[in-house]
Amino acid sequence: MSSTRTINFALNGDPVTAQIGTHQHLVEVLQAQGLTGARESCAQGLCGCCTVLVNEVAVSGCLYLAAFADGADVRTIEYAPEGKLDAVQEAFIECGAFQCGYCTPGFILMTRQLLDAHPDPSEDDIRHYLSGNLCRCAAYAEIVEAAKLAARMRNSSLPR
Amino acid sequence: MSPFELAEPRTLREAAALLDTDDSTVRAIAGGTALMLMMKTGVFKPARLVSLRAVEAHHAHIHKDAEGMLRIGALATLSSLGRSADVKAAAPVLVQTLKTLSNVRVRNVATVGGALAHGDPHMDLPPVMMALDASVVVVSPTGTRTLPVAELYTGYYETALARNELIAEVCLPTRTGWRATYVKLTTRSADDWPTLGITVALKLESGVVADARLVASAATATPVRLMAAEASIRGQVLEDKVLARCGEAASGEAELIDDAHGSAAYKQTLLRVHMARALRAVMTADIK
Amino acid sequence: MNVTASSVGQSPPRLEARAKVTGRAEYVHTLRVPNMLHAKVLRATVAHGRIRTIDVTAARAMPGVFAVYTGEDIRKLIAEPYYGPAFHDQPILALDKVRHVGEPVAVVLAADVHVAESAAQSIVAEYDELPAVYDEIEAMTSSAVVHEVLKPAGTFADLKYLKDKRGTNIALDFHLRRGDVSKAFAEADHVFEHTFRTQQVLHLPLEPFACVAEPGDTTLVLHSSTQSPSFVRSEIARLFGWSDNRVRVKVPYLGGGFGAKVYVKSEALAAACAMLARRPVKYALTMEEQFYMITKHATTLRIKSGVSKDGKILARECEVWWNGGAYADIGPRVTQKSGFTAAGPYDIDNVHIDSYALYTNLPPAGALRGFGIPQLVWAYESHTDMIARELKIDPLAIRRKNLLREGRPQATGTPMRDAALDLVLERLAVRMQWEKRFDHGGGTIKRGRGLAIGFKASISPTTSMAIVNLAADGSCSLYSSTVDMGQGSDTAMAQMVSEVMGIPLEKITVVHPDTDVTPYDMATLGSRSTYHMGHAVKNAAEDARDKLFTLAREVSLSAETTPIPDIFRKKYGMLAGNIVGVGSFIPPYTPPDANGQTENATPFWMIGATGAEVEVDTETGEFKVTRLVNLVDVGKSINPAIVETQISGATVMQLGFTLSEQMNFDAGQVTNASLADYKIPGIRDIPVMENEAVDANQKSGPFGAKGVGESGTFGVSPAIANAIDDAVGVRLTSLPLTAEAVYRGLRNKAGNPLKND
Repeated sequence: MSSTRTINFALNGDPVTAQIGTHQHLVEVLQAQGLTGARESCAQGLCGCCTVLVNEVAVSGCLYLAAFADGADVRTIEYAPEGKLDAVQEAFIECGAFQCGYCTPGFILMTRQLLDAHPDPSEDDIRHYLSGNLCRCAAYAEIVEAAKLAARMRNSSLPR
Repeated sequence: MSPFELAEPRTLREAAALLDTDDSTVRAIAGGTALMLMMKTGVFKPARLVSLRAVEAHHAHIHKDAEGMLRIGALATLSSLGRSADVKAAAPVLVQTLKTLSNVRVRNVATVGGALAHGDPHMDLPPVMMALDASVVVVSPTGTRTLPVAELYTGYYETALARNELIAEVCLPTRTGWRATYVKLTTRSADDWPTLGITVALKLESGVVADARLVASAATATPVRLMAAEASIRGQVLEDKVLARCGEAASGEAELIDDAHGSAAYKQTLLRVHMARALRAVMTADIK
Repeated sequence: MNVTASSVGQSPPRLEARAKVTGRAEYVHTLRVPNMLHAKVLRATVAHGRIRTIDVTAARAMPGVFAVYTGEDIRKLIAEPYYGPAFHDQPILALDKVRHVGEPVAVVLAADVHVAESAAQSIVAEYDELPAVYDEIEAMTSSAVVHEVLKPAGTFADLKYLKDKRGTNIALDFHLRRGDVSKAFAEADHVFEHTFRTQQVLHLPLEPFACVAEPGDTTLVLHSSTQSPSFVRSEIARLFGWSDNRVRVKVPYLGGGFGAKVYVKSEALAAACAMLARRPVKYALTMEEQFYMITKHATTLRIKSGVSKDGKILARECEVWWNGGAYADIGPRVTQKSGFTAAGPYDIDNVHIDSYALYTNLPPAGALRGFGIPQLVWAYESHTDMIARELKIDPLAIRRKNLLREGRPQATGTPMRDAALDLVLERLAVRMQWEKRFDHGGGTIKRGRGLAIGFKASISPTTSMAIVNLAADGSCSLYSSTVDMGQGSDTAMAQMVSEVMGIPLEKITVVHPDTDVTPYDMATLGSRSTYHMGHAVKNAAEDARDKLFTLAREVSLSAETTPIPDIFRKKYGMLAGNIVGVGSFIPPYTPPDANGQTENATPFWMIGATGAEVEVDTETGEFKVTRLVNLVDVGKSINPAIVETQISGATVMQLGFTLSEQMNFDAGQVTNASLADYKIPGIRDIPVMENEAVDANQKSGPFGAKGVGESGTFGVSPAIANAIDDAVGVRLTSLPLTAEAVYRGLRNKAGNPLKND
């Protein structure tokens, strides 16, 4: 048993092989791949800046051992298959739902998950779902509005 | 964090065998959300972690067995618990509790077994499981045993689990006629650790309390059943003065701790008032 | 040239919106450069102690460790390795003694951050502990002295008299005298005196401090999460004994600043390590480490007022003790500048203010969103309501009666100009429906409402410079050292350029601070950029526009009607050349005399007021802020949408400082240095909020504008405390306002105090 190992995973759709230490968390490995949208901040899973999707499920990347991503499908804020902004990103811009932008990727990824789980979320749904993300600039009112707007945008663009 | 060995056994028994050592730097890791915090702050420096990921597939079930017992695999995530229709039907209080238990990302990876085995008295699941009369099936290298959750906690961050024991399954009995609520009181921000947790489970028969489980947590060294408070309402109709008496009894018997969330004396007040309110909420089924 | 949709007064999205929502915006904390080493420090475990030994043997022997340095190693590189904006009191690594828990004592460099961290933990430092002082009042007279000798930096002329002063913890004392306070107290119908306290809190930007230092042959490049690149350049150059141009400071976006990242923070250690190692070094803090870097002053404030029976304030005496922690940072300026307005936005003839900056053995305190003003407003606006309550005067009425009106001299003697105090107060009254009967609730839930208003002098005198570079194709770049840390300055400045030049916003880029490229700016702090840099940018844009007109005339074209490329094409025969407009700005300022009097204390006044409604549970003291109404005077808004987000963001930050945030200590050791235990507001903590920038005009400001970043903080704390008092008759005088404190107040009122077991 060694404290280093090789992991293989899909990163935003592309296969990646990485040499990692068992003690490394996923955000470190992503940053070594040149992706800086997932950021370590509170180091406790509370702020959401490190949000990453592993097999389509949101996790705190800074609390997630990189070794556990072996074989997984990993997606980050940088994932943009069509090279354009999605409804959530558009809504965040439209509502001015950020200031410094450090927490923004986490909020956007979590808002997407929120809308997948609750396509027509109540204000209470939004606040509970996003309670694991912190914004020190406190653009919370704008974020709630952006979540509502994104829901409307997504619902109106559904295939009829 | 420093490098460590990462073992990935295929069965729980194999995992338990790997934990069968006096070395306190060898521990099991499942979701890892609590353990990673300890590792990142240097409180815990593992020589070896025993990953339970490879056994997850066999221990992540949530289903009702032939006897009507709800069986929850220890590696079921908290999110899957919250989504389960069986859980919703058998113990809606769990769904209510999960709504404010940490956050979505933690619930997505944290496991039921981990949440029960960690022994942190601030956690939300142990007191609720206790009030639901849940028990855990525990695996060791040599066999299995079953233990009521009520007997799992022996002290602050201490459990009755031996170093080489792992929770395999949580069993919830079907209890007809019971209703329950969990009240998580925070005194700073809404997403804070609880200052005080109050779990109330009542069996009501024609407006009379046939049986009760009242549990205080977070302000206590372990989740604790409030026996005097329970006795004060058994056989009673929950009129105002009975509620008040129960609040007094709870506040009188619980040994509460001073900390940054508030003084023990203030927490006694919170327990007294909110116990009565929680009882009323369960009685009138006004549970949020 | 004509006004475009993206010009001043409109709310286009931020220039960097796309970069931020796609995760591509750059921050120093995630920056990597080739061949980089990570720096991790060992921090002091005692609050005050003489360093006996630092054993780095184990750390040096650890595989992967490149180097281990202590203060003595730094001293070989820099003879006097002390820095600071007001005092040169802070060593890069502790020398001789440590002055607070968490002070950096030794540093490890390693290519692997985990190795650096483990090695730093293996260093053993031993101390001879010295008596420590933690409380600001005790520090006034304590025999425990944090600094043996005071070392003013010389940056500020009015601190020079403190040079070489010994045996004191008073880093600065500021005094203001106006009228005759004792006489007025003797003549007043009533004299009220109250003491208030605020707790130590901190900024906690989600991007912790970070600096990457890259040494060249004779130069040093610093990529830093700083709000003050120009200052960092000069201060690092001073430490090395270099000319300024050998240090280059580059700043991308900041993941929040709030006053934390001003002056020198992580840069000195990163720079010293890089020069010793001759390798690029990254020094990036963890969230936990931020608790030891810089905080907001805890304070004790005593305030005494002489009042006539109809509620006119005749005299006011204020004493403010600022707990500055172990290093002065900018605390002495907080002490002085906030001293100007400690008596509140009221027309009082007799004022006596004493304000003291104190050293203690706690983590240093500096500037935090409001620069001392929120602490003062907390005291004077609580005090105002306590007077009103005693005299049975309505809280709005007593404020109306005493408010400083336009043209009236404030306590420093400076007349109020373009200060919409009355309008802010009146708009607040309207939005709160103050004149209507208020439902105070019933049963176990009582309701209350409160209001508070505060003001602030801008930092002065300070300089900003800007360059506007017009390219031949008609696109334009703005070179400015203003740091966009989330406040939207890039967008606001570009809007100003757009407005002057008549160029659409899409054709304007903002070059981020790079001291080799962008010109001097004092710093991005104190809500000064919109006004100071705004002027410089406007001047630079006007200069560029004038030069374009000149160029057009030279080639016999009309600049009004000719597309810009055609003008260049005609002049240079092709699309070539450019026009460089330059602008600078420094406002007039008169330093205060020995009595704190000056005709010109500030270029503009910031004004903020908050109204709060609360519900209090009388059985437990638990309360909920149900509504916050925030009014500010920002002059004319450059970008109203961003202005509103700044107002609500400031309000929520202060809401945290009011209700949930508090650094807890045990013998100088922070016991809650994490977001799990230090609770900042989350999305479920936000009450219903309404924000309004009143219809005002800062006539001296660029496009009528002035700063907004701090104004939303001013009234929050006292408005909530006043509302609690209104609901249940419990007056809290210490922050944070907790449910337990309310409950204890209720029990005290009932004559049945809550006993501790």
